[in-house]
Order: sequence, then structure tokens, then C-alpha cells
Amino acid sequence: MKFFNLVWRNVFRKKTRTVLTTGSIVLVLVLIVVLTCLLQAMEQDPSGNRGSNRLVVQHATGLANFLPLSQRQRIEQIPGVVAVSPQIWFGGVYRDDKPENFFGQLSCDPEIFFTKLFDDATIDPAIEKEFRATQNSFVAGQSLVNKFHWKKGEHIMLRGTYIPVTLDLVFVGAYRSGDESNAFFHNEYLNQAKWFGANRVTGIYYLKVADAADLPRVTSTIDKMFENSDAPTKTLTEKQFQASFMEMMGNIKGLIRWISLIILFAVTLIVANTVAMSARERVTEISVMRTLGFRPGHILGFILSEAVLMSLLGGLLGVVLAKYLFVPGMVKGMATTPMAPFLINFKVTGSVLLAAFLISVGVGVLAGFVPAIRSSRIRIVDGLRQVV
Amino acid sequence: MAEPLIAIEHVEKVYRRDALEIPVLNDVNLEILQGEFVSLMGPSGSGKTTLLNLIAGIDQPTRGRIVIGGKDIARIGQSELARWRSRTVGFIFQLYNLLPVLTAFENVELPLLLTPLKRAERRRHVETALKIVSLEDRMDHYPRQLSGGQEQRVAIARAIVSDPAILVADEPTGDLDAKSAEEILVLLNRLNAEFGKTIVMVTHDPKAAARAHRMVHLDKGVLHADEQTEAGAARKA
Ligand SMILES: Nc1ncnc2c1ncn2[C@@H]1O[C@H](COP(=O)(O)OP(=O)(O)OP(=O)(O)O)[C@@H](O)[C@H]1O
Ligand SMILES: [Mg+2]
Repeated sequence: MKFFNLVWRNVFRKKTRTVLTTGSIVLVLVLIVVLTCLLQAMEQDPSGNRGSNRLVVQHATGLANFLPLSQRQRIEQIPGVVAVSPQIWFGGVYRDDKPENFFGQLSCDPEIFFTKLFDDATIDPAIEKEFRATQNSFVAGQSLVNKFHWKKGEHIMLRGTYIPVTLDLVFVGAYRSGDESNAFFHNEYLNQAKWFGANRVTGIYYLKVADAADLPRVTSTIDKMFENSDAPTKTLTEKQFQASFMEMMGNIKGLIRWISLIILFAVTLIVANTVAMSARERVTEISVMRTLGFRPGHILGFILSEAVLMSLLGGLLGVVLAKYLFVPGMVKGMATTPMAPFLINFKVTGSVLLAAFLISVGVGVLAGFVPAIRSSRIRIVDGLRQVV
Repeated sequence: MAEPLIAIEHVEKVYRRDALEIPVLNDVNLEILQGEFVSLMGPSGSGKTTLLNLIAGIDQPTRGRIVIGGKDIARIGQSELARWRSRTVGFIFQLYNLLPVLTAFENVELPLLLTPLKRAERRRHVETALKIVSLEDRMDHYPRQLSGGQEQRVAIARAIVSDPAILVADEPTGDLDAKSAEEILVLLNRLNAEFGKTIVMVTHDPKAAARAHRMVHLDKGVLHADEQTEAGAARKA
């Protein structure tokens, strides 16, 4: 500990250089912490335990195909199934084509939707009642409402894309939940619009089973039931469904890991270069210290500690920025995007903090050990003559 | 006659550069008594620094013995040698060689960090050493805030702070103006007379060399004439 002062002073020997190097570590750590947390969030069930006994039935060939509404009754009759709501992803245009105006628009069966299915959402009973009673109404997640500043009674127009109708919906209120990126309206209202599939088909069935233990049985019963029909199904847990949604972005996880490794390697080289430069400038000083009786092990320890200290400082700053600035900022920024379901778990966890700490130490050690060993091996007389 | 503190016996030093062998010291014999002040002179490249480094234990001879205080330092291992150095020798360089990131106080404290001394004891030693070189009012200055002469005095404080028996100085006044050089020489004389330090000083300056008790000359690695100075004669008398 009595050597800390010496190490600390040497870290800040050339301030600009240290600030630049530390800055690069900060940026890399922010990036890695944010990406790791995002990955973790995407691997977790966004609605906690309650969502774990919900299923999504989609067409076996994918979301682009419709399912006949006749299937609803047969699914409802399967033992263990509590509630089933047909839903259509409307995908309409609100205001204009700009991506920031895009949000999830889903039809549902209002009679059961908030009471029996999406029961981890919180909604004022009066709003829920009004939603059920008003066929052209819609409710939306609080984040979405905040974004568009919808007021009760306000009308919005949604111009259909693959369903060629325009909806005129009236806002009744907001719900709160882990995913506040969607708006919900009545299946019946969409049917009134007399599009080609009205009263005939749906996009998916969203359903809940009484007990999570029933999930495998219900899943296979549904898929077997329609296996040889015109519309074979593929039943997924809510989590799988959301993950499959994300997969449309490609194998993003593997890519993120690779990019993280590469930038870590790059920053290690940057730190190594800084430490090596700083050690080279000090050949005489190091020899003087050796003359005073410091042994090669001391020198090795000092240079290595400098590298680790610099990298830990950068890491610490990076983690703080990620936790208090970037992650909260991104959560706000993505609240109304398709990433929204995952945001509830998008936070800097203890394990990420630990990983960031280990990464910082690792970068320091990797970057420091070659210059440290080299410095410790300088022969005193050569160092004093500055021939190395 | 008294046992010499430093006894150099048949010392040879050969440097190797690739396949080339460069003989630098050739059968050097020298005895230095406890409390003596010896100056080492000779042309550039004659091997003065090399001999000084051998005495200070930062290098070892190719052949021969260097017995200091009864211990042959030509034969001991590197880490033991390092420990021996920190206890026995104080080194003063031509270019002072203070660490620029540390204050005068911290520079002087540096050798003490290797001892088990507590913080408060270290402070006491450092303050004493800085007082001896009359720089107690510059403790918190960094080397760049000091003049060359002051830097060299801090370096001397660093050399004496652990109270070594021997001081070696390699052209300690070589980079200083006449006035500062004189101050340093007075200081060395005082350390020798008052504190009993045995001093070996390399110098090009005959006037500086005359401050010692004895002058020895090196030429092409061979030790020559050994002459007593007036100061030496006065001491004997
Ligand atoms: N570490 C070394 N490796 C190779 N050769 C060396 C080394 N140290 C000294 N020499 C050679 O040994 C010879 C004597 O060098 P030394 O530094 O002892 O001379 P010096 O008398 O101190 O000279 P100066 O007055 O210029 O300081 C020189 O020729 C030098 O090139
Ligand atoms: Mg020399």
C-alpha cells in the first residue's frame, strides 16, 4: 500500500495520454456493459412468472399466414386452457411512414383480454370497463401514451398496410406493464371494417393455461389437432414467440459477442501501447530505482499495477456511465419499439458489474505484463547508460 | 594498519557486445579505508563509471574480488546484492536522476519504502536528511521546480537517508555551475568529516578532485598513480 502513491503518480505522468487511453477503456466498457445487459434482457422472460403460462399459436409456416377462427373453439375445449383470444397484428401507419411513429397495434377479445390473459398488466377497472363497452376504443401502454401525448377521447387514424382498411380509434386510457409498447383494440371493430378476412381468420391465438406444468401437453395437443388440416399450427410459449420475433434481426447474439471480443482486444492493444511507451521513457528512472535497492519483482509489480489501475479507472467510469446514463437513456428511447418487451429486464445486474470488473483487470494484466517483464529485466548499468 | 572498508583485488571487467569482447578494467587493485574520501580521475572511456558501479554493487566483475565490510560482493546473488546496496551504498549521479513525478520529500523517502520503517519514522528520517542538505523548506517541490544544485542536494539527501556507510558519486558536479558545484563539494566534505561517510567520487575536475584525501587515476582500464592531496596530508597529520 505504501507504493500506491508511486503507482498513482506514474499513471498520471502524462495526463493527456492517460486521459485518452482511459477514455477508450471507458467507451469500450460502456459498450460491453450495455450490450451484455441487452443480451441478458433478451434471454429472460419479460413478464416474469406470470407470462410463463401463456402460449402463442401461429401458422406453422410463420406469421405471414392467417389461421381460421374456427380453431378457437377447439382450442378452448382443451383441458387446462383458461382463455383464448384471437389477435391480429394490424401493422398500420400512424401519422406517416416515419419509423419513430411505428408501434404495435393488436386486436383482441376485450371481454377476457385484461381479466384473464394479459393479467400481469395493471389497468384502472373503470378504463377496462369503458374499453370493453366501446367498440371503437383502444387502450395503450403508458410509455406509448407518453410518447404520443394521447388524451382521453382523442381519435387516431391507422391506415392499414396488408389489411386495406383505415381504423378510426378513440383513446380511453393507459395500462402499465413490463411491455408498454402496444395498443389494443376490438376484434369486432376490425370485423366491422369488412376486410377480406373479416369474421373468418385471425393472425394468432393468444392463450393462457391454468398451470405451467400443462404447457408441453397443451402445446402438443394443439399442434397435433391441426397437423393435417388446411392450417397447421405452431404453438410457442410467449417467451419463444418474442425471441422468434427478435430472430428476425439475425443471429445478433453471436455477432455481439464477437464484436465485444474484438473491441476488447483492440483496447488491450491501446493500453499495452500506452504502458509500453511510458515504461520505455523511464528506463533510466527504473535503473535508478534498482540502484536504490528495488528488485526486479518490485518493478514488475509497479508497471503491472499501473496498467491495471488505468484500466480499472476506465472500467469504473464506463460502468457508472452505462448504469446511470446509457441504460436508462436507452430504456427510455426504446420504450415504444419492438424491443419494449425486453426492457423490463434491461438493467445493469450484479453479474454484469462483476464481469466488467474482471474484464478491466484482465485488460490491465494482458496489456501490462509484456512491458512489465521487459522493464524488470533491464540491466542497471545499461539502463543508466541509456543503451536499452 | 587498519582493515580497509573496501578492498578491490585483481578485478577485471570485460563487456560483451555480440561476439566482441571489450576489456574495460584490467587487474585493478585498490584499498579504501573506512572514512576515506577518494576521487577517481581519468580520461573519458577509461572505465571510471565501470569501477564505481562495481564498488556500488550495481554490476559485478568478470574476475577478481570486491570485498566490502568483509563481504565479497562479486560473488553474491542479485537479490541479496540489491538488499546489500540499499543498506550500504548511497549513489549520487551526474544528472541527479530524481523521479519527476515525486516531490523532493517523496524522492528522499523512496529508499526507505524498502525498509520496515513506519510512516512517521520515515518522515523523521527524510526531514533529517533534507535538513542536512539545507532543503527542509523545499520538501513539497517537484524536481522541475528546483535548480540543478538543489536537485543534486535532494539526490544527496536520498543517498544518505538510509544512513549507508559508503557514498559513491559519478561526476556529481559535472552538470553544475561553479557556485552550485562548490556547495555540493562542501556538502560532501561535511558528510565525510562530520558523518564519517566513506566517499568515492568520479570527477574530471582537478579542483574538485583535490577536495578528496586521495586521488587515483585510471587510464585504459589500468589504475595508476595514487597521490595524496593536501587535504589528505592534513588529515593524516
Ligand atoms: N554496459 C556496457 N556495455 C558495453 N560497454 C560498456 C558498458 N559500459 C561501459 N562500456 C564501455 O566501457 C568503457 C568504459 O566506460 P565507462 O563508462 O566506465 O567510462 P568512463 O571512464 O566513466 O567515461 P566517461 O568519463 O566518459 O564517463 C567504454 O569504452 C564504454 O563504451
Ligand atoms: Mg563515466
